[in-house]
This record gives sequence, structure tokens and C-alpha cells, in this order.
Amino acid sequence: MTRYLIRRTVLAIPLVLGIATLLFFVINLAPGDPTQLMINPSMRAEVVEQMRANFGLDQSLPVRYTKWLTAFVRGDLGYSYSYNQPVSQVIAQILPNTLLLSGAALVVAFVVGVLIGIVQAVRQYSLLDQALSFVALFFYSMPSFWLALMMILVFALFARNVWDWPIYFPPSGTRSVDFAQLGTWDQIVDRARYMVLPVTSLALVLAAGIARYTRSSMLEVVRQDYVRTARAKGLRERTVILKHALRNALIPVITLFGLYLPVLFSGTVFIEYVFGWPGMGKTIIDAISLRDYPVVMGTSVIFACMVVVGNLIADVLYAVVDPRIRYE
Amino acid sequence: MMTTRARIVLGLTVVAAACGRDYADGGAAAVGVETFCADVAPHVDAFMARMEQEHSVTDSARYGGTVVVASIGDMVDGMNHFVSSDYTASQNQQFVNLMSLIRYDASIQPQPYLAESWEVDDPTHPSTITFHLRRDVYWHDGVRTDANDVAFTYRVVTDPETAYPNAAFWDHYVGGAEGIEVVDSFTVRVRLSPHAEYLDPWTGVSIMPRHLLEGVPVSQLKQHPYGTQCPVGNGPFVFVEHRPQESWTFKTNPAFPTDLGGRPYVDRYVYRVIPEQATLLTDLLTENIDVYLAPRADQVPEIIRSEDLDLLRSVSRSYTLVAWNARRPQLADARVRRAMTLGTNRHEIVEAQLRGYGVVANSGVPPFHWAYDPTLADSVRYDPAEARRLLEEAGWIDRDGDGVRENAEGAPLAFTLKYNQGNQYRQDIAEIMQAQLGQIGVKVQPQVMEFGTMIAQLSGEERDFDATVVGWVTEFKLDDVDLFHSSRIDQPYAFSGTRNAQMDRLLDTLQLVVDRQAAIPLWKEYQQLLLREQPYTYFYFPERLNGINKRVRGVTMDARGEWVNIKDWWIPRDKRRAVQRAAAR
Amino acid sequence: MPLPVGGGDAVTAVAFPGARRRTRGGRLLSAVMPGAPQLLVGRFGAGLTALLVWVGLLAVLVLRWDRVWAAVRVSSGASLDDRVALVTLVAGLAAAWVWSFRDAGKVQELRWVGVSQWVLAGRAFSRNRLAVLGAVGILILYLVALLAPFLSPYDPSALGDLLTERLVPPSTAHLLGTDHFARDVLSRVLYGARISLSIGFVAIGISVTIGTLLGAVAGFFGSWVDTVLMRIVDMVIAFPQLVLLITVIALFQPSIFLIIAVLGLTQWTGTTRLVRGEVLSLREREFIQAAGALGFSRARIIFFHLVPNVLGPVIVAATLGIGNTIVLEASLSFLGLGVQPPTPSWGTMVADGRSLMLQAWWLSTFPGLAIVFTVLAFNLVGDGLRDALDPRLRR
Repeated sequence: MTRYLIRRTVLAIPLVLGIATLLFFVINLAPGDPTQLMINPSMRAEVVEQMRANFGLDQSLPVRYTKWLTAFVRGDLGYSYSYNQPVSQVIAQILPNTLLLSGAALVVAFVVGVLIGIVQAVRQYSLLDQALSFVALFFYSMPSFWLALMMILVFALFARNVWDWPIYFPPSGTRSVDFAQLGTWDQIVDRARYMVLPVTSLALVLAAGIARYTRSSMLEVVRQDYVRTARAKGLRERTVILKHALRNALIPVITLFGLYLPVLFSGTVFIEYVFGWPGMGKTIIDAISLRDYPVVMGTSVIFACMVVVGNLIADVLYAVVDPRIRYE
Repeated sequence: MMTTRARIVLGLTVVAAACGRDYADGGAAAVGVETFCADVAPHVDAFMARMEQEHSVTDSARYGGTVVVASIGDMVDGMNHFVSSDYTASQNQQFVNLMSLIRYDASIQPQPYLAESWEVDDPTHPSTITFHLRRDVYWHDGVRTDANDVAFTYRVVTDPETAYPNAAFWDHYVGGAEGIEVVDSFTVRVRLSPHAEYLDPWTGVSIMPRHLLEGVPVSQLKQHPYGTQCPVGNGPFVFVEHRPQESWTFKTNPAFPTDLGGRPYVDRYVYRVIPEQATLLTDLLTENIDVYLAPRADQVPEIIRSEDLDLLRSVSRSYTLVAWNARRPQLADARVRRAMTLGTNRHEIVEAQLRGYGVVANSGVPPFHWAYDPTLADSVRYDPAEARRLLEEAGWIDRDGDGVRENAEGAPLAFTLKYNQGNQYRQDIAEIMQAQLGQIGVKVQPQVMEFGTMIAQLSGEERDFDATVVGWVTEFKLDDVDLFHSSRIDQPYAFSGTRNAQMDRLLDTLQLVVDRQAAIPLWKEYQQLLLREQPYTYFYFPERLNGINKRVRGVTMDARGEWVNIKDWWIPRDKRRAVQRAAAR
Repeated sequence: MPLPVGGGDAVTAVAFPGARRRTRGGRLLSAVMPGAPQLLVGRFGAGLTALLVWVGLLAVLVLRWDRVWAAVRVSSGASLDDRVALVTLVAGLAAAWVWSFRDAGKVQELRWVGVSQWVLAGRAFSRNRLAVLGAVGILILYLVALLAPFLSPYDPSALGDLLTERLVPPSTAHLLGTDHFARDVLSRVLYGARISLSIGFVAIGISVTIGTLLGAVAGFFGSWVDTVLMRIVDMVIAFPQLVLLITVIALFQPSIFLIIAVLGLTQWTGTTRLVRGEVLSLREREFIQAAGALGFSRARIIFFHLVPNVLGPVIVAATLGIGNTIVLEASLSFLGLGVQPPTPSWGTMVADGRSLMLQAWWLSTFPGLAIVFTVLAFNLVGDGLRDALDPRLRR
């Protein structure tokens, strides 16, 4: 297993480097550069030229690429043009937000999705199955930014201003402005309140996909002989489903966990925008429009690494839950 | 607006020439960059704690509470005035964290601020200005602000290496160390050649702390942690925390001079970034934020309808326009450009898209400005008949009956109109022009562009555009030299590329006339010339609209900006957030 | 496979004695009202669809006679859109009538022996009510899209009076209200159906074609071909899609074709993996071995033997993919990168109207619902197909 992990990791290096290379040339091909965005008539053209020179933007693409690559290999992601900070520092500030949001959403989505999937499979074609299918797919079919806005309108605005519900949630942000003045317990409650809406919006969309996966996986399993045998033994249906069928049905579902990591990483961008949640997705998009090449490169490489890690986790989980699979 | 998105970028790799230059004139040693924040923070905390005791609050009815201002954009350049060019950041430097020597009052007359008085050697022909500084202003770490700070700031902003965004302010000043003399600890004298509005730069330049930044090579100022991680100002608010893309938090400065009103009323001021306008409005309606800066005009009815909210309207210095690329053959003729303006119903656009919150523009001179000529306000009203006549006079006639005019060679009168994505107003203008100019036989093709790409095309040597919807923000000192002067025709901002000798002469003269009364006729002549030449079709000056919760009292917003009197905003005790109410008891 | 006897659903109903008699007498009825005889014997899905199409299209013909007539007249200068709508109208009417007439006359019989997997799948599918509902929904959507010139009350891109007709709430004059250019929202939603459906359909067409081909090639040839192709797939998957989309759209000028191309060229990796997996297992099966032994060319084996046998899962993936693509286009619009105005696409309409959700809820709600129900329909059909095509999931 260890050897397998090492081999996979080594194989991933050229992959990440390849992506980085491709990306470097792709983003540098887009017209415009960071100094041109500094559109201010009071700025003399000579100064702009000087800045480009300072920046190394006057050098040819291959030279810049070599420089970036050597720095990158040494673990230096460079200096952000727009944050005035090292890229690694920017990422260190932003990444925890994304991980918190995605991690919470992932957990919620798996719990809800697996539950729905089991119910659907056990009652295939029943009214309940169809109703759950319809509801799950309804949320799945919404553009996530639209769902997010609806959540805000209902659970933040109308709940507070129109219907006077006892519980309502703040529309945006990660914590209240007076966070620092709160006690520890209040701080936890405060952060949780701010997470409810974004996490729910994200999880709703993901849960539908997981439910669908669980359902078909369960359907396959419950038709297998050993399940039939278990039933024939006279075990209770509950025991059959939960003890015998579910364990095997969850194998492919668990691998989804790894595969969803990168989806969460970039798929949260709309949620981040709507809920004013500072995260990686928005960082990448802003960096592209500002032509902040080091940030684009840094965040994208992290993204690529997460995909690789996600795949690896999926494979490892597969081996952990399914004793038939052995990696050499 | 364009300049609000503008930003400067300095080199990562420092070129040899830029290295090693600093302004250490025997002062304290520069603080190490890596440990800068850690070194500075204890001094700030200690000084603030001491000042809090000395200037404790007696009147908790007015003093206290947190005010939250929110908008869609981050202050990317932070509080480092040397390298910042975005509007929100410079407002926060000027009125929140730092101080300028002088500031404008509501009627745009210079008033004392950090400088308690000043003298000009010859008001009609100024060649030196002497500023006398206040003696009771302290940097937030306890060091007194003095003449050396002003001299340091002046030397840095006039140094080309700094790439100070408003370098053109200092065109008629003597730059560098020769230009400024420290007479005594609280007196400085600057040298200049006579020119229009010579005091204006001093209202815009925020004085920076010499004792913290003087060892830093100027080309590396941009990367210095001062700007975004631990700014130490001398203004009414003290920096507390910056969370990228999320918020800036400031607290009250108890040491702010009593003569200038003393400490601000609110304990804390938070600037929040919320990139989505629909969310911003909901935040305002649910009291999650107190001020929503620049809502869409179409969102305003919702703000007016709410009992808890007020709409604050103020004049703006920004304007929206269509720039014509006169290098293109079909747009080279001023009559054609004039016909485009006549053929577009700008009043209707202001009434509909801006809901009347704005005025039609005919030049870049804002209506509140002393140089503005009100008699020209209605001079190019919507007149399709006149537009058609002009086009025919210029030889553009629909010769083949397809609804689009052609010239004698058969080339159609068609052009693409580029605008940047994500700006609804500009998209609206493009679509309305397409419809309305279509009626007078001009084929307009709106084309949306990614912002960076569009700027590259507008300012690049190729000038790869026919026409474009853009915006400018003017300063109080007007200066269109970079836009229209023929000597700048190859510079990035000469979008239209028109040449006109009268224009050149006026632009040159206007920069040098010291006396406003003498300049007014010239400004009128200039505005009339713009009407004839039409390098741009000026659209409108939109009003600045801001939604504000009524619990925040005493707010003034005008042409000077949104933060101009943030020091005097206050929240009645019973209207403060729960935590703050508890703290006040 | 056990015989699906019993059950009160549509297909088995005709197997009861007496069903025959009733259907036989339905020919006359079907000539006047297609679909009615099928309804009478309890085949609600098919009957209702035929009836709806017939009545709906007749209604369009009568109520919008002036526009239909204008499209018929050669000299009227009708556009291509009008002609396409005309053809759709005529073809739809004819299809509903002919199908119902012939179907009503046919003796319904159930053959349980020797039916293909596809027939079995069809039967399984038609028993899934939600899936059938989805399929009917998609049919109606395509009809609406094609008939938009006849259906829409106003020109979708004509600016109205900006001072008086702007942001008017839904009323009898404008059923779904007007937007900030005083354009009719209903007309734009109707025309928007074309854009959104085309984007989904064409983009997925591109990606499925690429994906199937590459997957089949990788799976069939194996060895280094497989390795190289799969590494490319890994790379595309690990490449941040948003970065690519935004950069490409910045590089070229945004247009509907660019959006379609970009969406099509970035989504093929899933299909490739799917097809490769299937082909890897098919490759070892006897019929492929036999084809190889017979000396068939590799191209022939891939296209005639392998690809048809992986079509099932590919069709499922494609159906689900169309829905995803429509949502993706809407999401791009949110970032201002979607289909550009004045072309009415649902995504752009939702995105543009979102900041006025409180002031003019109809701006983004109606196109939003259109997206939800369209994507929902594709997903229901996709899930139904998956259940129907996979013998392991079939009841």
C-alpha cells in the first residue's frame, strides 16, 4: 500500500507540472497585462514601462516561464500583484474559508444524500421514491447562484422582516462585525449561524447527486444472492438492508467523496459570490480579471493537486472498504 | 468606473537601478520587513491604551457602537497612499486612517486640516507655499507627525520610481528634495511654478509616516506589509484588522486632536466586501450592514419604501461616455460623431436606466464644478431629423435600400460598440444605441469584452476598437490633456485620437491660468469646442446613490465622497447592536 | 428475466381481454381527435401526449393564423425561423394524427419472446411515470422552441417605451411582465428556449462524440495508446475548468458559438472514462473476439461492434449532460460570461434580473423556473433511461 501511494504520488508530479505549464501559457495568451489595468491618465507611460520592466513582463514568455518554474520547484509561488503579499500568504488566508465551507457542505450532503438514496432504493418506484427523486432533482436542476439567492430571500429577508420567524440567518459574511467582543461559546454559535445558508445551498445541490448514486448502487446490491440469502434466513428487512446491503452499496459512494473534493473547490465560486464568502473560487476569478498571474498559477496548481489527492483518496478508500481490492 | 478598478503594480524582481535608494536622512533605522507588523503592533496598542485613559468617553449617548459600510469591491491597495489608486481606498486614507495637509469644505474651498495654516508668496503668481502643521497630531504608535513626514511623503510621490498614480498632480511642482524645505519641525516650504488650482494636490495627498517607511526602497513600497497588513496612520480611525476579500476593521482614535472634533463617535467602523448586489440589498434590509454604497438605480425604490432606510443622494465626479475612435474612416468626420450624439436619446436613458438620478453630460466638467457652463446643458438634445441631415451632408446615404447608410464608395456606416462585462449600465447604453441609431440608418454591433482584454485593445497601439462605452472619474482639478491633446495622441489614453489646434491651445492654457475668474471663459470655450468636435458622446453624470440605515445619524455625503465626515457619524445608544449596548452599560 | 405479468400499468392493460375490441373501434375517433382512443384504453402517457400535441398545435394554427399565413406566403419575406416553425407545425400535426390513426388500428399484442434489449428497456421506461413525464416535457419544450415565432406575443428584442413600459409587472398585456428595456419577458422566455436547448444539445453532442471515440480507442487498443489518452484525460480533469473558460472567453470575443464550443470541449472526459471501462470488458467477450478472428478491420470492430454496445450508458450520460450544460451556461452568465445580449438566453435573463429580485421578481423567476423544469425533465428522463437500460436496475 505504501509503495502504491508513493508510486502514485511520483506519477502525479509530471501531471501537475504539465498542467502548470499549459496554464502558464494559456493565461499569458489572454490580452492585457496587470499594468494596462492601471488605467489612470495621470500615470505616465514611461512609468508604466518601468513597472513592466521591474515586473519582468518585458521578458519573453519562455524566460518568464523558466523563472516561474524554478521558483515553483523550490516551493516559491511568487508575489501577488494585487494583494501585495506572497501568494502563499494569500492562499493561507483564503483556503481555510473554502475548506470550512466545503467540508461542512460535503458532510451534510453525504448524510442527507445517502439517507435519501437508501429510502429510494428500498422503495423503488413507490410514491415516496418518486417524490424524493422529484424534490432532489428539483434542487439539483437549479443554477446554484439562483438557489442561493432564494435561500437568502426566504431565510434571511422574509423570515426576519415579513414573517417574523424566531430564527433567521444573516445573508452574507463569515461572522458578525462584533465577533471579537463575543465569548467563546457565542463565537461558535455566531460562526455557525453564518454558515447555515451557504452550507445548505451547497449541500442541497450535492446531495441530489449522491442520492442518485446511492440509489442505483443499493438497487444493484439488493438483487444479489447474498442479500436474498439473508432474507431467506428470515432476518428482518431492516437488518438485511442496514447490515448486509448498505455496507457493500456504500463502496462506490465512498469513492465519490474523493472525487467531489475538486468539484467543491471550484464549484463553490457562485456560493462564495452570493454569500460574500471569501474563498478560492472567487480568488481565482478576480485574479484572472486583474491578470494577477502568480495568484492564478498558485491557486490553480493547488486545485490540480487537490484533484490528484482526491483521486488518490478515492482509490485508497476503495481498498479500505472493499477487501477484494489490493494495490501493489 | 474605470479608475475605481485601476491599480498599480510594482516589480517583483527589483531592477538594480531601483535598489538601494532610500530616504534615510539620518532618521531612525528602517524596521525589518518580515517583522514589521509584529514590531509595530505593541507600540500602537500601548499608545492607544494610554490615550483611551486620557481621553475617556463621558457621553455614552453619542459615543459608541459599530457602523458597517459595505460595497461590492475590496480596497485592494489598502492604506498605503504611495501606491494606491482605487477610489474607495483613497477615500479611506483621506478621511479614515490618514490625513491630508488641507481638505475641501462642502463648497470645494481649501480648509486647514493637518496644516493649520499656509502662506503663498504671491497669490497671482505663486512660486512657494509655506505650510504650518498642527502640533497635536500623533501617529497611532505614539510618534508625533511633523514636517519631516511631509517632506518624506513629498519626495516619494514626486519620485518617478514610486509610480505614484497621481504623478501628474506634481507636473508644475519642483520634484524631489530640491522642491521641499523643512523650515522647522512644524513648517515646510514647497516650490512650484504658477498653475491652475495649485493647492488641489495637497487635498489629495495623504501624509505617510516617515519613521516607519523611510528605509524601504521606493520600488518595493507596494509589497510592503504596511499597506494591507498593519497600516499605522494618524487619522481619526486606527487600523485593527484586514481580512482579504472580506472586511477592514478600524477603531476610534482617542488621540485625534480636540480642535478637529476629537475622537470619532463610533467605536468601530467596518468596511465589508459583498460582491453581489442582490445580497447587499438584503443585508441592508436586515440590518446586517448600515450603509450600502452605490446600489443600482433600479434597487432604489426598495430602499425608499423601507421605513428604516434612507436614500442619500450626492453629485458625482464620474461620467459615462462613448469614445469614438476617430482613426476609423467612418468616424473621422466630426459631423458623423455629432449625428451619433443627436441620434441617441440620452435624456430618456437618464430617466429610464438611472430613474432620473443623474444629469446628461456634454463634457467632462461636472455640473457642481465652477467651470461648468449651464447654458450648454440642453444644446444637443435628441434630434433624429438633424442627425439624418448631418449624415447626409457628410455623404452617408442609404444607397441600396437596406436600411443602412453607405458612403460614395459603398462602405456601410457600421461599427462595433465595445463594453466591459459586468456593468449593466454600459450594456444598457450599448443596446439602446443599437436600437436608436438603427433608426437613423447606422448599424451598431454591441460587443461585450472581458475588462482586461478591452483595456488592452483601447490603449494598445493597434487601437482595436471602433467605439466603446467607458467611464472616467475626474478630480476637482480638471485636466483633459491626456485625453485630447494631440501631443498625447500615441499615449494610452488618447482613445479617440482627434487632432485640433484650438483644443491643444486651450488645454495648454487652462493648466496655467491661476485665477478662476480668468479661467471661466476659457473653460466655456473648451466645452463648446467639445460639443463641436464630439471626440466622445458624453452620456451622463450619474448621481451617487447610497442606502443607509436611519439608526446612523449625522451622515454627510457629497461631491467630496462618502466618508467625508465619518468621524461625526453616530448611533443612538438604544439603536446599537446588542453586544455594543451591553458594553456601553 | 421473469415475466412482468400483472400490474395495472399502461402496457399490460391492453393485454386484458377486451382491450382489443376497444382499440379496433378507435380508428374513427382517432381521425377526429388523435390520442383519444389510446386514452380510453388507459394508455395515458401516449394518449395524452398525442392529444396535447394535436390540440395545442391546432390552437396555435387558429389563434396565430395571421403569422402562420405570413410564413406560408412566399412573397412575405418570412425569415428562416418562421419557415422552420411552419414546418414544425405541419409536421407535428401530421405526426400526431398519423401515429394515433395507425396505432388505434393496430392489434396490440405483447410478445415476450425474442424482443431486443431496447424494447425491454422501452417498456421499463414507460412504466416509470416520472420519466415519461420528463419525456413529454422535453417534447413540449422542443415544440415551443421551434414554434417560438408563432407563440411569442411580441418581438423578443424590440425595445419598448422606456419611460412608461419599463419593469411592468405581469399583466394581461404582458403575461410575464417586462424587463428593464420594456421588452416582453414571455417572448424572451419562449425564444430563450431555443438558445438554452441548442447550447445543451450541441455542446453535449460534441462532447459525447469526442468522449465515445477516445474512450473506445483507448479501451480497444490498450497499451501506450490507452496510457497516453488516459493521462490526457487526467490532465483535463485536473485543469481548473473555470480558469480555462474565462481565459478562452477573454481571448476570443464571446459569442454563442464560442460558449457551445468551450462547453463541448471541456466536458468529454466523463464519457471517455465511461466508454473506456465498458470497452475494456467488452473487448474480452466472444463476439468481439470472433469479429477479430474473422479479420474485420479495427475501425469496423470499433464502430460496428463496440460503439453500439456502449450506447446505453452513453445515452444516459448525454441526457443528464444536457441538463448540466444548461445549468452551466446559466452559471457562466452569472459571471457575465454567458450568451451575450440581446440574444435571449435563460441564463443571461436570470443573471441580469437577479439584483432586482425584490423590485421585479418576474425578471429572473420565470426564466429561472424555465431552467429548473427543463433541467429537471432531462434529469428525470436520464434517470429513467438509466434504470431502464441497466438490466440490474430494472424491476
